Amino acid sequence: MLDFDVISPKTSHELFEVISNSQDKNYRFGAGYTDLINDLNNNLQQNLTVINLAKLNDNNFKAININENGVQIGALVTATQLLENNIIQNNYPVLWEATNSVASGQIRASATIGGNVCQASPSGDMSCALVALKAVCEIIDSKGNIREENISDFFRGVKKTSLKKNEILRSIFVPINISKNIKSGYIKVGTRNSMEIAIASIAYHFQKDEQNNVIDAGYAIGAVAPTIVFTKDACDFILGKNINSLNETDVKQFANLIKKYAKPISDIRASAWYREEVLINLSETILK
Amino acid sequence: MVKELKIIGKSTPKLDAKERVTGKSVYGHDIELPGMLHGMILRTKYPCAKIISIDVSEAKALDGVMCVITAADVDVNQIGYKRDHPIFKSKTVNCNRDEIAAVAATTKEIAKKALSLIKVEYEVKKGIYNPFDALKEDAPKLNEFSHDKFGNKNIGESFHYEHGNIEDQKKLSKVIITKRYETSRVTHCCMATSNITASYSKLDGQLTIWASTQVPFLYQRDVAHALKMEPSKIRIIQPIIGGGFGSKLDMLPFEPICALLSIKTGKPVQLLYSREEEFIASPTRQPMIIDLTTGANENGKFTFREVKITMDNGAYTSWGATTPFVMMQTYSSLYQVPACSFDAKAIYTNNPFAGSFRGYGNPQATYSIETNIDLLAKELGIGKDEIRLINANYKGEITGQGLNFKTCGAIPALKKVIEESKYSQRIKSQISNSKSQESGRYKKGIGLASMLHVGGGAKIYRSDGCGTRLKIDHYGYLTIITGSNEIGQGSETVLAMIAVEELGIPIEKIKVINTDTDVKPWDVGVHASRTSFVAGNSLLGAIKLIKEKLNKQAAKLLCIENSDFIYQNGSMFHDDKEIKIDKVVREMHFGLPNELCVVEYFYEPPSSFQDKEFKGDVSGNYAFASQAIEVEVDTLTGKVKVLNVFVSQDVGRVLNPLALQGQIEGGVATGIGFALTEEMIYKNGMLLNPNFHGYKLLTSMDMPDVNFYPVETYDDAGPYGSKGVGEAPLIPTAAAIANAVADAIGIEFYSLPLSPEKILKALKEKTINKVLSI
Repeated sequence: MLDFDVISPKTSHELFEVISNSQDKNYRFGAGYTDLINDLNNNLQQNLTVINLAKLNDNNFKAININENGVQIGALVTATQLLENNIIQNNYPVLWEATNSVASGQIRASATIGGNVCQASPSGDMSCALVALKAVCEIIDSKGNIREENISDFFRGVKKTSLKKNEILRSIFVPINISKNIKSGYIKVGTRNSMEIAIASIAYHFQKDEQNNVIDAGYAIGAVAPTIVFTKDACDFILGKNINSLNETDVKQFANLIKKYAKPISDIRASAWYREEVLINLSETILK
Repeated sequence: MVKELKIIGKSTPKLDAKERVTGKSVYGHDIELPGMLHGMILRTKYPCAKIISIDVSEAKALDGVMCVITAADVDVNQIGYKRDHPIFKSKTVNCNRDEIAAVAATTKEIAKKALSLIKVEYEVKKGIYNPFDALKEDAPKLNEFSHDKFGNKNIGESFHYEHGNIEDQKKLSKVIITKRYETSRVTHCCMATSNITASYSKLDGQLTIWASTQVPFLYQRDVAHALKMEPSKIRIIQPIIGGGFGSKLDMLPFEPICALLSIKTGKPVQLLYSREEEFIASPTRQPMIIDLTTGANENGKFTFREVKITMDNGAYTSWGATTPFVMMQTYSSLYQVPACSFDAKAIYTNNPFAGSFRGYGNPQATYSIETNIDLLAKELGIGKDEIRLINANYKGEITGQGLNFKTCGAIPALKKVIEESKYSQRIKSQISNSKSQESGRYKKGIGLASMLHVGGGAKIYRSDGCGTRLKIDHYGYLTIITGSNEIGQGSETVLAMIAVEELGIPIEKIKVINTDTDVKPWDVGVHASRTSFVAGNSLLGAIKLIKEKLNKQAAKLLCIENSDFIYQNGSMFHDDKEIKIDKVVREMHFGLPNELCVVEYFYEPPSSFQDKEFKGDVSGNYAFASQAIEVEVDTLTGKVKVLNVFVSQDVGRVLNPLALQGQIEGGVATGIGFALTEEMIYKNGMLLNPNFHGYKLLTSMDMPDVNFYPVETYDDAGPYGSKGVGEAPLIPTAAAIANAVADAIGIEFYSLPLSPEKILKALKEKTINKVLSI
């Protein structure tokens, strides 16, 4: 049923060439294909070319590299690869839990982190964690120019990113934790335990000093606005506070600051009322 | 003492388990015939409209299109249980499934393209999507072919049943409770989507259909009626069926349409549903609004049930409209009921029509009754377990409707789940003060429900029987040619096990042939949990005949008097004498009497037809079951987690424990979905969630532990004492879950599913009311 051309570059050089040569064409990138095939099944464009990244042999795209500043995750790293990485599991529980909540084991084996980010779905699980982690997107164009952009800015709307036609997401950088004392996790609200899209999601990554005062806060909410949102005011509010012994008023205040960012819609999966209600209920429990 | 058996009662994998798990099974989708074309159907864009014009000229002109048909091109009869359903719609469309045209093309891509080239002009009308609106005076007549027999133009079917004296019983009642219950529209979600391959020969006028039907002989007749053909000219072959659950009882328009495409082109045509089409145009469970009033006296004995059921019939009448046959048994006879009045009406709307679905109305009926019983118990101050035990069905009971419970495991099943689930320690609403003490996010609760269902077939059609032919070849292999069908439930395996048990032929040497109406003897079909019962009894009858034949020949060969033999390991034994079965068969053929070792037997169950008042002992025996289910409600999200399921079921006798466990777990899974997550969401007749993203079928990751305790009552009517088991495990599940949720949070709900949103809203209202009342 699916009728399109496929080009499979093997090196970055070939990739850039293909991108350059395709500027007047209608093309999509294919990496894990877990979203793309669905998209094409629902709405196949005419004369489509798929630039297949699955054969690309370039560690900038494919590897998880760790340095003193943080972790550089190639866009083609699969969800399963992330889950098998101890550094991710130990340092960024929020990302590990979010990744583990993606669809099912089979889909995680082929779905890529770059695909999750570039899909720019408001309910993207890995994307939500990356927003809480203040990740930075490394974007490269067909001439080899690199630009970096905070992931919150990268998302521009439902299924919209800042990527230009001649650009591709090469990797995602997650900064190193400044403290070993962290409170980090991902909450996904949905009906099923697997094969689920979030009705509302919360990614949180708090770093604390020895007295449990917050020295860095990351808090992102998904599926309650056109994009995943970093709740900056709530994060600023919590800075310097002892997260293990917040009083009721602070918890309410924190939740209220989050509420400000929620602009949920009603659809067949949940009403706006429900999305906002669980967002606030669960935000409060994280701090209790 | 019950006799220990060789293989019956021991876990035996399905005969085709290896083929299934290695992908070698040939499903309908895998069939490929030489020169085969691909069929597709154009459905309506609107659920309610007048068709102004249909233009297929561009589609016909497309390269690779072999045939385009509409109502104008075919001479057919209307279909459906009430014959109120035209295969193609030409004047009006009345629901979102309606078929307007069909194409056959050399590839699927061309067929799809051709559909997009068909131009249909509509005059959109305002439809009626609520059955109560359809009953209003000013409502238009929604199905022009309905018979107007029931006092309102939009009532498609109507049932009335009663026994006892309701008014007298009302006077004896200490508590009377009236509630309205609503159940949602859910669908079967078969792994294999609907499919058919039809091949018509213009040379001899024979039509061969590879169809995923559950009822091949009724289907053959239905297709023949639709196409105005002789039934015997139509051969139905069943490929491996990827899920039935009742969805394949009705013949739907796509099936005669595919046949018509083959008849017109003279080539084989295959028509496969996409998953989206499966959601839109395959059967559903009948949604119902149930107004139930029940009573109990001061001792907790039930006095009466009075029920009025409004069923959304959809645009046309399917088997779904006949679910009251089963429901009235539940209202009249689940527990002892001195008086019962039952009314059910199927009302035409512009929604899609339903169909039959595992349980056949019983999950809806049981949900209303069992949640109502909890209310009665609460009002009377009696234990919810106690009230059920007081009223439970018993052996020897002949119910008001005439069901004769010659064996009955209702009380043992109830007691078992009460004990195993530690019900009385866990039920919060009966343990004083425990509720107020429990704080925190998660609240646990436990619920109880029982069910009654036919266990020995159901005499609805003129015959509820099944034929069997047996053949033992020269090499000692047995072929069982049975009328019954395998739709994944494991009946082939049970039949092979019975043959092993009786004839001592190893299971590797047994073949079951059951897929071809030109070959196999008649059977009414797979439904009503009847196959092991009816086909098993039929096989036992045939085995008796073949044994007589073998015994006679063996006695002759061994020069002994004709007598009984012991059958073991492919041989027959009498005292110290042994002879191999294959030798007996060869001697029977090559020596006198020069006969083949073949027999035929037809079994008709001892059940009787209901009379005009729907009274009678309609099944060979009856199945009883209870479930206790423990849940945990997340008060922050409203999400219900099922923690533990305890099932006890009167299965008569366990035949294959492995397959039985599968039936139980599968039923419970469907029941949990019905209770909590599954719902087809319609807006003005259009389905908004025709995919698994939006339709929340649960997965294996969501399954709780299912603890199963069979009750064996050894019913004389069933093979080795067994009863039907297939539908029962899903019937009480939703009711038990609803009762458990009410126990957990102290709020009763009267509609399904118990979605997180519904629960969270109710919790919030409860908190607000509490604050206001302080």
